[in-house]
Amino acid sequence: MDDGTSQYYFTASMDSGKTLHSLLKAIQFQESAVFCAMSEGLKLTVEEGKCVQASAYVPADNFTEYHVRDDVDVIFKISIAVLTECLNIFGASEESSLKMYYRSEGSPLLLVLQPQSVHTVMTDCEIATQTADCLLELRDEDATEVAKLVLKASAFLGLLADLERSCDVMELHLSPDHPNVSIVTYGMQDRSCIEVPKSSDMMQSFSCEQPVTLKYQLPHIRLIMKALAISSKVVLRCSSNGLLLLQLKLEKDEQRQMFSEFHIVPLLDDY
Amino acid sequence: MKCHVPGPNVKVLGRTVHVLARFGDELYLESLPDCVLLKTLNASESAYAMIKFNNSFFSYFKYNFYSTEDNESLKCKISMKSALNAFKSPTHMDKQVENLEIKLDPDACKLIFQFKCKHGIVKTHYVSILDCKATQAVYTKDQVPNRIITSQRLLSETLGNFQSSDDQVTIEATNQSLILRNYVDANIELTKIIRTQINLKASEFDSYTVGVDTTITFTLKEFRALLAFAEALSLPIQLQFETTGQPVVFIVHNGTTFEAHFVMATSKPDALTQTQASSQNNSRTDYKRKEVNNSVGPMKKKPHLDIDISKCLDEDSHLFNYIDIPEETDLRPEKNGTTEANAAEEDNLQEYMDCDIPGSPTSRTKIKSVFKRCFESTFDPRSIQGVKLVENSDSD
Repeated sequence: MDDGTSQYYFTASMDSGKTLHSLLKAIQFQESAVFCAMSEGLKLTVEEGKCVQASAYVPADNFTEYHVRDDVDVIFKISIAVLTECLNIFGASEESSLKMYYRSEGSPLLLVLQPQSVHTVMTDCEIATQTADCLLELRDEDATEVAKLVLKASAFLGLLADLERSCDVMELHLSPDHPNVSIVTYGMQDRSCIEVPKSSDMMQSFSCEQPVTLKYQLPHIRLIMKALAISSKVVLRCSSNGLLLLQLKLEKDEQRQMFSEFHIVPLLDDY
Repeated sequence: MKCHVPGPNVKVLGRTVHVLARFGDELYLESLPDCVLLKTLNASESAYAMIKFNNSFFSYFKYNFYSTEDNESLKCKISMKSALNAFKSPTHMDKQVENLEIKLDPDACKLIFQFKCKHGIVKTHYVSILDCKATQAVYTKDQVPNRIITSQRLLSETLGNFQSSDDQVTIEATNQSLILRNYVDANIELTKIIRTQINLKASEFDSYTVGVDTTITFTLKEFRALLAFAEALSLPIQLQFETTGQPVVFIVHNGTTFEAHFVMATSKPDALTQTQASSQNNSRTDYKRKEVNNSVGPMKKKPHLDIDISKCLDEDSHLFNYIDIPEETDLRPEKNGTTEANAAEEDNLQEYMDCDIPGSPTSRTKIKSVFKRCFESTFDPRSIQGVKLVENSDSD
């Protein structure tokens, strides 16, 4: 496809759009996302009320073809709902190959999908793009990392699913002493506490020098559950300013990997 | 009290909490020296459930863990929501939970459930104790004339035929067969509803004894819940009942470790069922007038029925007795003593209290029928003697 596509800002193609679809579905808690194509890979970012930032990151080696012009910034806003719907246009049972084109600033994102079983059918989708809003820069370079945990995603999902629904706040205690991780929730009258020692099978690595207690909005934490369901491993990092960073590795049999990433802002003590 | 529940039994306990949640909003936990009782009562006091776990259900059971005195029974009331939160998904609980520890300290304000799960995870629920009262229903079992034992599948397959909108079921028991039909509210137009009636022969049941023919009506919601419970544990159900107005008791037990009693108040069958049972020339309005006049009921086959009901309904009695036992009291009044003993050795002790249980209220139908005749097309106000239409409406 060298017939003039080299002037395009961004072109990519991939054999199956299915994994991409499920990855985007996992961060689809907002209507629109910021689509950013870099030479290393593709990144879509969604923000929830300036408190949660979720990104889906697809490294360039997942694509059979990947080309980004390096003299321009390829960044625009797009409806993530429409994008996921287009990726799934032949239904969940059908594997379809995917090609993406983005000509220049202000032009629509072009998707060409072809189901693998039927070669005579092809779908052409044009999704309107908008100028991107600026994204939150949540990472603070001065803040140091105080704890890092590597957990099995399915077991961590089980823990989160078990938390009481009516609860708003979750307390996360991390400590070098036993129990290393404890999650406390306060219900109407009750207190529930989940303790996980670092010797647990679900904990693949644990590093924490100082005991730390952090509070988060439980609805924010719940946003990661969809992504956890499709992931195999989760890395949890706490920085000294309380920002929680979760990096999730997508479950995939092949060597190539996709990731999702969540930044969650802590609740500050009001006393 | 402190006890440990092994993994497979946690599932049973979880199912128990879920069936109790269908009955009431509050959970009573009572520990006796040799067993633990879980009880609940619904808000209108028409349904009660009690499940007794013998100490063989637990891998560790210590009644007087916190105190050396062993003569007081430990009891507490917690909210059903809290209990449900602790036992969220009983279906795969046995795969995750290895051991559950329940601690009840008479001096503490929290009941502690500690789940030791796979991967070394420990989940602890500190549940607030709302009250230290116990509840005890007074009901008759074992001595009632009608006793049926059946597999849970027969009944749940039968109930599968009913509409999900049906909320009450009428059981008509004779010594030949058991007829189940849905209860139809008198306010609903008959052309818009589906009547379901299922006739089960006595031979279909594992054991069938109907000493006195009777017809009872009770709610389906709780019935379905207890059937689901019995089905999940694949245990047969024992049905014991007397007559309308007396509670029906369902018993599910596995012989050794636990025994569940589900008690529901019964009420009269719907008007249509009664009319069908009455002789053909009795029209519906006739029947209604008779009922209001409190004459002998139209069910000529069972003349005792209405008298029983009116007797039951007239008595200002309660289905359940609340027993307040102060924490430190040792002297048990005679009556309390019996009820506690009942709970302790329900298996062999034949409890027979006063049969003072009223049926669930049917007053709405009754009140309506007082005035209903005025709206019938055949109603002629002049036929009523001593009644003047429009009396002094214009006097000034």
